[in-house]
Amino acid sequence: MVRSRDAGFPPAAAGRAGLPPVPSQGAGHQGIPVQRPAPADERILEVLLVEDDEGDFVIVEELLKDVPDRVRLRWARSLSEARELLDGVDCVLLDLGLPDTVGLDGLRRLHEHAVRVPIVVLTGLNDEAQGVAAMGSGAQDYLVKGTVTGRLLIRTIRYAIQRSHVDDVESALLEERLRAAENARLERGLLPRPIVADPRLVVVPRYQPGGGRMLLGGDFYDVVEDAAGAVHMIIGDVAGHGPDQAALGVALRIAWRALVLAGRPAAEILATMDRVLSHERHEDLLFATVCTASITPARDEVSIFAAGHPPPLLATPDGWRQITLSGGPALGLLDDASWRPTRVALPPGWRMLLFTDGLIEGLDSEASGDRERLGVDGLLRLLPAGAADAEALDALVAAVTERNGGPLTDDLALLLIAANPPAPSGGSA
Amino acid sequence: MPCMELSLATRTVAAHTVLDVVGEVDVYTAPKLRDRLTELLEAGTRALVVDLSRVEFLDSTGLGVLVGGLRRSRNLGGSFGLVCGQESLLKVFRITALDQVLPLYPTIEAATGQASDGGR
Repeated sequence: MVRSRDAGFPPAAAGRAGLPPVPSQGAGHQGIPVQRPAPADERILEVLLVEDDEGDFVIVEELLKDVPDRVRLRWARSLSEARELLDGVDCVLLDLGLPDTVGLDGLRRLHEHAVRVPIVVLTGLNDEAQGVAAMGSGAQDYLVKGTVTGRLLIRTIRYAIQRSHVDDVESALLEERLRAAENARLERGLLPRPIVADPRLVVVPRYQPGGGRMLLGGDFYDVVEDAAGAVHMIIGDVAGHGPDQAALGVALRIAWRALVLAGRPAAEILATMDRVLSHERHEDLLFATVCTASITPARDEVSIFAAGHPPPLLATPDGWRQITLSGGPALGLLDDASWRPTRVALPPGWRMLLFTDGLIEGLDSEASGDRERLGVDGLLRLLPAGAADAEALDALVAAVTERNGGPLTDDLALLLIAANPPAPSGGSA
Repeated sequence: MPCMELSLATRTVAAHTVLDVVGEVDVYTAPKLRDRLTELLEAGTRALVVDLSRVEFLDSTGLGVLVGGLRRSRNLGGSFGLVCGQESLLKVFRITALDQVLPLYPTIEAATGQASDGGR
């Protein structure tokens, strides 16, 4: 589209009015920096003019010669040419009357193509309204041809770049806030309030995201006391890290809770969770390890299933040990998996700790070898002999973190359960 | 805690592409392994052996990556084997029952079919 000349820029000389004459060394043709007595450390601004009228290109070029900033002007005569020249551009000056676009369409297409590059729209005297509309469609600013001086032009360019940086930072901040909120939601879903009525039982869960709160994983736990008084618990770990794993962890936990509340037998529950996982996962390589334990209403026996998960630790009067059992495969791995329970008698004063591998896969800085992992043996040495309360669990996590020499990489979930706790006023023996 | 590097290199043994994995495969390094496996499979590798002999640590993220490699390889009609002799790693495979899913071999020769049938 060709405009009438009166809508174009004023003669180049007008743009220079009031400015001291500057030696013009630059040839001023496309791609050659316009030489200025500018601060040496200042980076050259890359500006792309998208303009089909050569006269207007010459005017812009002249205007930019009059500013102290170092500017390299590129020139595209059409939108398709512009796309080829966008690489490394700091700001685009876009004429709205290009041959291959109509109205704001060109702006939208260019903006879609280079979302991060600020665009300043050039309009004629008669269509200033279009400049205003352009700002609603992604332009940072607009300039009316015929009213532009070199100073105004460069200031508009600089402001546009500056504002677009601010926009970038704001959207990054917003993204960060949204991610934090999303993580918090998922974390709440992963970490339920135990449903336990028995006052003789102490149930202390802990969850800690990996990497100093940055890495939400798929660790989860739950505890439910059924109508008959049996207490069922689960601890699990979806392999990998991230919101997808966390969401799958939530799905598995809810599935488990529903099946327990519905009174289904433990072996069937695992098989059903296996199927749930296969259907719910969005990529077929996600799998999960879980360990479930059911304590009889008399609190004298526990029945444990392990699906690819480390068995729980049990404290008896002889001290802590890891329960030995024959586990089955992790969920989501085999088509026809089955699991068998291991039954263990619970002596008076028993305590049990279910955990995910985050607790044992930290480094052991006090081990003889370099980068040795804590492992179950190391964990057993760190476990306090007596106490079975929240403080003891916090102390354990602190000790494991200290051995690691800093925040643990992996997320971890812990579930401590104990019967016949010491009297609230007494010590922790 | 200093992060341990994971180094990856490929070589060819008996018509198999062997990916040597050295270091620790954890939540930080596993993506590197995953990307390399994807790259190899997309480049047309159909006889792939991942040598874990010099892997000192493998966490559940790493296990997930290996399972993913196996599934993708099978979907493409390729073969996928793991070389793993050290007990610490075998224990991880056993506890998750991944030893029933992933083809584990004690040596490169076994994984590339040279030990069993005298080499092809």
